[in-house]
Amino acid sequence: MANYTFKGGIHIPNPYPVERPEIKQAPLPEQAVLLLQQRVGGEAKPCVEIGERVLTGQIIAQTTGSLPTNVHASISGVISAIEKRPIPHPSGIDAMCIVIDSDGKDEWANIKRCDKDFLNCSAEEVTQQIREAGIVGMGGAGFPTHAKITNAEGAHTLIVNATECEPGIMCDDSLMQEYPREIVRGIEVLMHACGAKKAIIAIEDDKPEALNSLLMYNFNDRISVEQIPTKYTSGAEKLLIKTLLGVEIPPGAYASEHGILCQNVGTVKAIYDAVIDSKPLISRVVTVTGSAVKSPRNYEARLGTSFATVVKYSEPNDQEHHIRMGGMMMGVDIPNPDYSICKITNCIFVNNKESKPVVKECIRCSSCATVCPANLLPQQLYWHAKSENIKKALDYHLMDCIECGCCNYVCPSNIPLAEYFTFAKALDRKLKFEEQKTDQSRERFEFREYRLERNKKERAEMMAAKKKALKEKMAKDKEKNQEQEDKIAQAMARVKKSKEDNA
Amino acid sequence: MHSTGLNTNQIMRQVIYALILGVGASYVFFGWGVLLQIVLGVLSALVVESVFVALRGRNVMDSITDGSAVLTAILLAISIPTIAPWWIVVVGVAFAIVFGKQLYGGLGNNPFNPAMLGYAFLLISYPLQMTTWPVDFLSFSQAVDEVFNLLNFDGISGATRLDDVKTSLSLGSDIATLQVRSISQAWINIGFLAGGVYLLARKIIFWHIPVAVLSGILVMALLISMFDSQQHLPVQNHLILGGTMLGAFFIATDPVSASTTPKGRLIYGFLIGVLIVIIRAYGGYPDGVAFAVLLMNMTVPLIDYYTQPKAFGRS
Repeated sequence: MANYTFKGGIHIPNPYPVERPEIKQAPLPEQAVLLLQQRVGGEAKPCVEIGERVLTGQIIAQTTGSLPTNVHASISGVISAIEKRPIPHPSGIDAMCIVIDSDGKDEWANIKRCDKDFLNCSAEEVTQQIREAGIVGMGGAGFPTHAKITNAEGAHTLIVNATECEPGIMCDDSLMQEYPREIVRGIEVLMHACGAKKAIIAIEDDKPEALNSLLMYNFNDRISVEQIPTKYTSGAEKLLIKTLLGVEIPPGAYASEHGILCQNVGTVKAIYDAVIDSKPLISRVVTVTGSAVKSPRNYEARLGTSFATVVKYSEPNDQEHHIRMGGMMMGVDIPNPDYSICKITNCIFVNNKESKPVVKECIRCSSCATVCPANLLPQQLYWHAKSENIKKALDYHLMDCIECGCCNYVCPSNIPLAEYFTFAKALDRKLKFEEQKTDQSRERFEFREYRLERNKKERAEMMAAKKKALKEKMAKDKEKNQEQEDKIAQAMARVKKSKEDNA
Repeated sequence: MHSTGLNTNQIMRQVIYALILGVGASYVFFGWGVLLQIVLGVLSALVVESVFVALRGRNVMDSITDGSAVLTAILLAISIPTIAPWWIVVVGVAFAIVFGKQLYGGLGNNPFNPAMLGYAFLLISYPLQMTTWPVDFLSFSQAVDEVFNLLNFDGISGATRLDDVKTSLSLGSDIATLQVRSISQAWINIGFLAGGVYLLARKIIFWHIPVAVLSGILVMALLISMFDSQQHLPVQNHLILGGTMLGAFFIATDPVSASTTPKGRLIYGFLIGVLIVIIRAYGGYPDGVAFAVLLMNMTVPLIDYYTQPKAFGRS
């Protein structure tokens, strides 16, 4: 058991528990809609054309940006569209997607296998393989894994996050029960890539089966399995590090600066697939749960499969549904089940539509402050966020809010506090941007003024110099003229004189 | 869901239930007047709240079912003399709800404790009616007669207990006899203390404020008894007389107008305790709870700002 803990957090039992979270293979989708924009990093550029036939595992889009994430065809078939589609994002925006119509054959592309054992590859080569496979953080953050590994160069500890960050999600639990060998092997690959000397797998104490199966397959004494108390938000990276190692990483700093690399257990499995099995990231395990489904379950589904396809197998009732991607706390509400599974879709909640609870005024009971894992005062933040007093909100450490939603959960007045904080942060970004823009244009204006002034001055100086030169020249010329006139006068005088002499 | 699993309305209701013991004790000693004032107060609160919420164009049902108006009315009603004329409580509750709460934007937006604002208003405006307490138990008809001024019979009323004590002390009375006369006050305080403990046990209030208020009272009373040669109320009596327990557990803990940080609550509560004793000892009013709470309400934004807890990862 870990020795440390953090203040706040809440114990929320799985609202829809199942006997044993099994993984079912979802059938191949008839159409896969693959998202080009990951949660972090630029948009991938398609390298296929409409009408082209692609094979499973083939790279269909890649980026050249700083955090590139390749996108692979998750099924074989024909590209039918490259266009904007609605994506599961809180803003409800559309983004570029590649649509593949399946040919039902699932023919795999010829993927170059690494013929060496990973231990004979350099760390860079392994990281490159991870990068090629298009792996991102599978716990929901979606940060490109290879970038995280590169940043954590020289890390001493690898933490494998197997806490299953939010209540209701079971995909990591089932992965650990079904693929313990692969996960341990994946951890070894990851340790090799980042150079960590030890690894800790952190499992919450409500998953004894997953713990046992990992213990059974872990023969590496550099890898330890630690049980931590089941408490929501212990899956948040910094809080997990605090729980395991007692280290508090300040806001704005990264775990890598402390020699720690944190990876989700699902990511580790994807790394195993990529490096050992040479399979790029084309599928993932998704939990389908909620009050409207009869059998909450996990599915291994190809990326791009529509939510509706997998939800169907969990026997939803015929009532109107409320669909949410991700956990019940931090997930994103989705208007309809036509959205498709992307790399970070760990869970699909299908709930019966319920009327929203009445929101009352904040009575400053401070229940939220008691559960806030960042140890903030949400009741004060709310007050300032509501009145859009961003400066005051920043004084109360608005930016330290991890938007975990613990405050929403305990609020007796049902206030969606975390949403206010997300809004306030966005407002701050906007204000900062505008301020920057005004600063820039002011600077531009001031520089222009300065430039004009300078030009004027320079011109004046130049003119003055010219004038002076001219004056001097004129003076000189006058002198010269005088001289000449004198000479002429002298000559004339001479002539006159000689004339007089002659006469 | 609150850490107690209650919503805002249920929390308000729990606080109201917790008042029952103290109110019961008041009834035992003062009779029907207590209940009569509460009924009058609650009815006027509902009327005033409904009218004002309707004027502000908000949902009336949402507002009156949240229980805050009723709670304000009860707190005010049990603070005023049980034989005060009927219009006292009506005016006080109306002032508390309109000027103490609705004008600031309703529940949650008021910087002052509405009940105490109403009380202070009444005490300043109607000092005579606000300090005349019955000496004996009043039957229902006696109470009705008094409150509605149907029959002008005197001889059942006396000064406020603490006022009485103060006057007697200055006249050189024996403290021992005073203590016997204070038994009713002590029982009422014990009733509110019990209710407060219930609220603590249900985690509806935090321990910080009541503990800090009581320690503030204790420390200040000790200091005064040590350094001031004038005869004052004995230290222990400060804890069981007047509005001490009601103030410490029900008034100062009103979350809307109190400090909300753990450290801030301790400072806030402690200073309320100190002010209560200072007002009792040197002020012109018999009890200091209302003024102490209102004065400290003003300092809450400042206290909250400077007592923020250390955020995760910050030093």
